Amino acid sequence: MWKKLFDWLDERLGLNDLYKATLDRPEPKGNWWNTLGSASLFLFLLQGATGIFLMVYYTPSPDHAYDSIQYIMNEVAFGWLIRGIHHWGATLMVLVVFIHMLRVFITASYKYPRELTWIIGVGLLLLTLGMGFTGYLLPWNQRAFWATTVGTEIAGAVPFIGEFITSALRGGSDLSALTLSRFFSAHIWMLPALLSGLIGAHIYLIMRHGESAFPDKDD
Amino acid sequence: MREEHKKAIHEKYQRVLQKGERFWPDSIYKDLIISFAIFLVLVLLATFVGVPGEPKADPSDSSYVPKPEWYFLFLFKFLAMYGQLPAIGKVEWIAAILIPVVVLVGLFLLPLLDRNLKRHYSRRTLALTVMVVFVVSMIVLTLLASTPLLADDTGRMTLPTQMQMWAGLFVPAAAYVVLAGLGLLVKKLGERAGQAQAWTAGVASLAMIALTAAVLVMVPPVEVEEVLVAGTIPEQITAGQDLYFIHCVECHGDDGTVTVIAGVEGLEGTVVSPINSQDVMYTFTDDTLANIINYGQQDLGMQPFGVAYGGELGPSEIGYIVTFMRYSWDDRMEIPEGAVSTIPVPAEGEVPSYEIHIQPLVQRYCVSCHRAGKENNNFLMTSYQEILTTGDNVDLNIVAGDMEAYLILVINGQQILDPAMGDLLVDQMPPTRLMPPEYIDSLTRWIMAGMPEMAVEAQALSPAPAAAP
Ligand code: HEC
Ligand code: HEC
Ligand code: HEM
Repeated sequence: MWKKLFDWLDERLGLNDLYKATLDRPEPKGNWWNTLGSASLFLFLLQGATGIFLMVYYTPSPDHAYDSIQYIMNEVAFGWLIRGIHHWGATLMVLVVFIHMLRVFITASYKYPRELTWIIGVGLLLLTLGMGFTGYLLPWNQRAFWATTVGTEIAGAVPFIGEFITSALRGGSDLSALTLSRFFSAHIWMLPALLSGLIGAHIYLIMRHGESAFPDKDD
Repeated sequence: MREEHKKAIHEKYQRVLQKGERFWPDSIYKDLIISFAIFLVLVLLATFVGVPGEPKADPSDSSYVPKPEWYFLFLFKFLAMYGQLPAIGKVEWIAAILIPVVVLVGLFLLPLLDRNLKRHYSRRTLALTVMVVFVVSMIVLTLLASTPLLADDTGRMTLPTQMQMWAGLFVPAAAYVVLAGLGLLVKKLGERAGQAQAWTAGVASLAMIALTAAVLVMVPPVEVEEVLVAGTIPEQITAGQDLYFIHCVECHGDDGTVTVIAGVEGLEGTVVSPINSQDVMYTFTDDTLANIINYGQQDLGMQPFGVAYGGELGPSEIGYIVTFMRYSWDDRMEIPEGAVSTIPVPAEGEVPSYEIHIQPLVQRYCVSCHRAGKENNNFLMTSYQEILTTGDNVDLNIVAGDMEAYLILVINGQQILDPAMGDLLVDQMPPTRLMPPEYIDSLTRWIMAGMPEMAVEAQALSPAPAAAP
């Protein structure tokens, strides 16, 4: 019975081929350092899931952002847990992605034929930091406000176009409701969309070239 | 890269795979274990550490010292140190833009820049040692982030500051130069170049870490003071009540019922609408109330309280006052359990202590006038020390065990006359309406017992309970 159902589905979906391509891949003998990439992926998905829950109550306006976070923390059932996981998850994701990069660097896994995997990886690192930077402003508290003020100011040091970049980030000369809505849409739409696209490409390349082996004396 | 190299790499990889494993089921379980462990750690962090509270953003309070997320701290510290350099330190864009961009482009193009075909650690000493120095300097800069960079009177950097500059800038910079130089000499020195690089990176890292540890011991990082952040509604109501009693009672009274202001200079006899009335509570939304407190009612006599308009209250604090008013006076709201804070009153025979009984009482009834910047005969009451050591008549105000102490007299409604001139020295306190009798009693008993600060001291002073028969 199950076999029949499976065969029927397999004929149409190609489940067996999918299994061969994704799960039944040959790999060199690995160790625990090879889990950091998938840990990054897990954290990304977890941030997505908790972020979606936070979105239910969060309001991206200077008047209500702070109060909506207070509401999530104090009134919503398990709101503190969801926000806590999202908050610490952001920190941990930066850490894990960075250590993942270090391990890839140390084992020289970025060399032929995995150059593109690395280049996309650096993009992922930058986007992860971008997520941290934009998300930091959203609670609209003192810390967030002033850190973002200074952070966007740094862009002003670019010769000639610095002012333009700063005001493009802020949506004006000072931090305002516009800044919040820009950071908000970057944090929940633009950066995650880019991230998921690049993660897809990253993982496609990993499957295509296979996990690299740890270098031995002859390499 | 030549075709034969590529072929060799592929062949080598196929041989490794022969001896390898399968993603499913050989290695995926490790991924799952790590992910699950991460999830557990996050739940524990969320439960036991939580997210630290912060007051609401206040665009007018530019005295706030900005602190970015910890993973950007190293950049901030780097910029701050770079700014200390003579001459070049003034060209901000070199450190703020040029160097980060060069590092990032280098990182992006690493696979193209690194033409070394070798993969084993012993043959990539340059790349590995540069990375070690870089990561150690990032860690060091992060650790030093909250230690200030200071100059002494003559404008020279202090010793700990110089040590910071070495740890964060000079040592790593020197190390990069030496490492790169050794890299150029590889042809000549062979194996020994790699060893020299490893030593350089090791010594440089140790030096950076040692300097950092020394600085952290010499200059302990500044503790940031905790700001009052009320989370739950009951906490907000309590915080709002305290603030209301400090800032609003002189005109609006304990309970918002005042209709004619008395005893406030310049506003004597001004008519105000009772702000606890249905009229006010039903017609004003929370936002309107917050705005009134923020901007004041200038033309009618109420000064602005928002920091942005010259007052003392930030947006969070104004929010707490509004919450307090709403829950206390709006008959459509039900006050949540545990929200009303009562001032503890000592039991029969118990000696009151500053910590438990007096501090909240004084906070509620006296601090609104008895704090810096108000007219009060220089008698400040915001801490235990101040109460005992300030005031024009400090020697007569509070005298342990003396019923004639000024403070006891005035809170009981007596006026103190100047012994020499005979005119009024101190009015009754609080000037407009005396406190309820149980609080007068509490304050009196505290002075009679000798003003104990801590609850344990007060307990030691209390008469031992009669032994049971
Ligand atoms: C120096 C005296 C003074 C102080 C202190 C003061 N007020 Fe007022 N307040 C007034 C006066 C005068 C008016 C205007 C009279 C009126 O409109 O009824 C007013 C009006 C108001 C109103 C609007 C009432 C209405 O019907 O328009 C509110 C609400 C209010 N005050 C709240 C507060 C709060 C909360 C505080 C403490 C942060 C405070 N006030 C501190 C004097 C003061
Ligand atoms: C409405 C403002 C106000 C409040 C509230 C208030 N005071 Fe005063 N207090 C004053 C002023 C003003 C003086 C200066 C003397 C005077 O003008 O009567 C003063 C003076 C005093 C002095 C004399 C200080 C000295 O060294 O000359 C004492 C004691 C005192 N207050 C006790 C208290 C106590 C205790 C409370 C709380 C129960 C209190 N006051 C609440 C306004 C206030
Ligand atoms: C959101 C961030 C990222 C995710 C989700 C991710 C995911 C993964 C996964 C699942 C793997 C395979 C398992 C492993 O080797 O650990 C992998 C490998 C790899 N990653 Fe990432 N990664 C991220 C960031 C980066 C970064 C920042 C870099 C480097 C700049 C990078 C470079 C690589 C390379 C070169 C490999 C191949 C390693 C090998 O074959 O041995 N990745 N990544």
